[in-house]
Amino acid sequence: MFKLHQKPWIFFFTLFLAFLFIGSAVAIEPGNKRKGKYTYRKVYKACFERGAVESPKPSINPDAHTQAEWTEIFTQKDFDAFGCADEWAALPEEDVRDIYAYLHGHASDSPTPAKCK
Amino acid sequence: MNRMNLKRWAGVMAVGVLLFSGIASGEEENTDTAPGRTMARQAVRGERPGITVDHSRIDALKKPFSSGPEITGTCLSCHTEAESQFHQTIHWTWRADDVKGKGGFSLNNFCISANKMTDKGCLSCHPGWNKAVESVNCLVCHGQKEINWEEAFADLKVFAASDDASEKEIAEEIRANIRDAVTNIGLPGRKNCGSCHFYGGGGDGVKHGDLDSSMARPNKALDVHMGEDGQNFTCTRCHTTKRHNIAGRIYTVPAATERKSLVEDDLTAKITCESCHTATPHKKGSKPNDHTDKVACQTCHIPYFARVNPTKMSWDWSKAGKLKDGKPFKSKGPYGKKDYLTVKGEMRWEKNVRPEYFWFNGSIDGVTAKDRVDPGTVVAVSHPVGSQDDPNSRIFPFKVHRGVQPYDKIHKTLLAPLLSGDKGYWKTLDWNSALAVGQSALGLPFSGEFDFVETTYVFPTTHMVAPKNNVVRCSECHVRNDGRMADLAGFYMPGRNQNRWINTIGWVAVLGAAIGVTVHGLGRIFSPKNGRKENG
Repeated sequence: MFKLHQKPWIFFFTLFLAFLFIGSAVAIEPGNKRKGKYTYRKVYKACFERGAVESPKPSINPDAHTQAEWTEIFTQKDFDAFGCADEWAALPEEDVRDIYAYLHGHASDSPTPAKCK
Repeated sequence: MNRMNLKRWAGVMAVGVLLFSGIASGEEENTDTAPGRTMARQAVRGERPGITVDHSRIDALKKPFSSGPEITGTCLSCHTEAESQFHQTIHWTWRADDVKGKGGFSLNNFCISANKMTDKGCLSCHPGWNKAVESVNCLVCHGQKEINWEEAFADLKVFAASDDASEKEIAEEIRANIRDAVTNIGLPGRKNCGSCHFYGGGGDGVKHGDLDSSMARPNKALDVHMGEDGQNFTCTRCHTTKRHNIAGRIYTVPAATERKSLVEDDLTAKITCESCHTATPHKKGSKPNDHTDKVACQTCHIPYFARVNPTKMSWDWSKAGKLKDGKPFKSKGPYGKKDYLTVKGEMRWEKNVRPEYFWFNGSIDGVTAKDRVDPGTVVAVSHPVGSQDDPNSRIFPFKVHRGVQPYDKIHKTLLAPLLSGDKGYWKTLDWNSALAVGQSALGLPFSGEFDFVETTYVFPTTHMVAPKNNVVRCSECHVRNDGRMADLAGFYMPGRNQNRWINTIGWVAVLGAAIGVTVHGLGRIFSPKNGRKENG
């Protein structure tokens, strides 16, 4: 039987696999990009209708971040910068994944960077 | 009353009359009596007649449309002649004649060429559906609700075919948006025209110095005619229309071939300043009225352009293609505008720009992709036509955009690279292939050898008319050095030009008159009886 400190490569390999497993477990799976565009708009429309924002147009464009940054934001579920906290909190997980797919798919470093129209 | 008293009373009354008339005329001067303004107010008095159809009540427009051409078909079921009329206009053909026009062989020094419509990037401003050139999209000009048609129909197709309830719901939402847009129809507003003309050249204020998004909702300080706190004109107030031909285009022919006012012809187009303000718009005896035969109204009344948003003033394509860490990059300069892009090269933006002045009879001429150029000089890709001797020419303000763009070293012609698409320069960063494909689209040869040449391209400045308190002052032109007209040669202009002999003669005359008056005065002071003869 071997000891871990005697075989450091096995230790690091195991660590790498563990990170990979944990990372893939928490990383957000992208949903329906096309649907996400409408869900994203709907969030701000609702927010505008209750008077919490000045415009029904989403405040952050997809091209405001790179794909890696969007992944980080949605993995951490750090939605503070979006405003409209009530609407974001009420979104089912599937809708969040759709929005992520839309923003990620049109990020500044994507083949089709986009602004909300 | 003796004779002496009579004379005294007559004198007092005369002074009184003079004083009264002086006060009266002073009051008159304080009131706004410039006839040009009075005429213009009459020309646009009252509410503008609206359209005579409430499109939201037309059932045919409420059906579930699934494509753009289907909407056009419905429009044409009532407006039977509209499409055939529109197909004849330059807004559709992009052709001024067989050669000129962006749909032909004309070039500029921005994105250079539309490659005879091969460059699909240009078609985002062509008034068809989804960058196609078959069916007119009437709603580009007449739609009062903003909607991304291409996206709406593409998404509708997908969601309508889905079994998912939430996607079906989205499909209904899109249908409602389309219905709302199709039934909200009106005369073209500032946003309709501005959706292309404010963003010409690929961005806000890129091409025109006097047309950008600040003109969508301007105030009076920016434009006295269009200002929401002023006359609140829409574009079509001046750009009147006949059979879908919109007055005001300036290409090979002037925007107006006759300088007529509504006083002379009540059905004349309102496209020139004189149309409403007449040729002598200022108060009677006012000096500016003496200028109108040689100086355009815009020259004094538009002191600077790009007064709110910056405008692009130069574009150097020869600098394109640089990479940072092996990748394309872009950088921002003053006003937060990009001053370098790998795919486009180097560019400079400016705000509050003083125009350059040229004689202008209303026509613009220039070189096309077919014309030979002299690469040893700065090539005028477009230039104003006119001269001091031409009675239809006036000194007119222009934005001059300076560029550096590719030319064929063997054929000595400017070249038209294809920019967008898979084979375009923006994707390949390969000048040789982009130039070969672009020239081929035009059916013109490319030798394979190219270099870059300096060029200029002009835009007449006619919007952003400033309030009267901010117009160009006399001393900005009638000044010896660095005046606004410093580059206009070949004619005498008081204050700017001088002739030594005329100056000498003038000063001798002034001096002679002064000496004569002095001698005469002294003679009267020192002569017995004060120089007066005894009364009989």
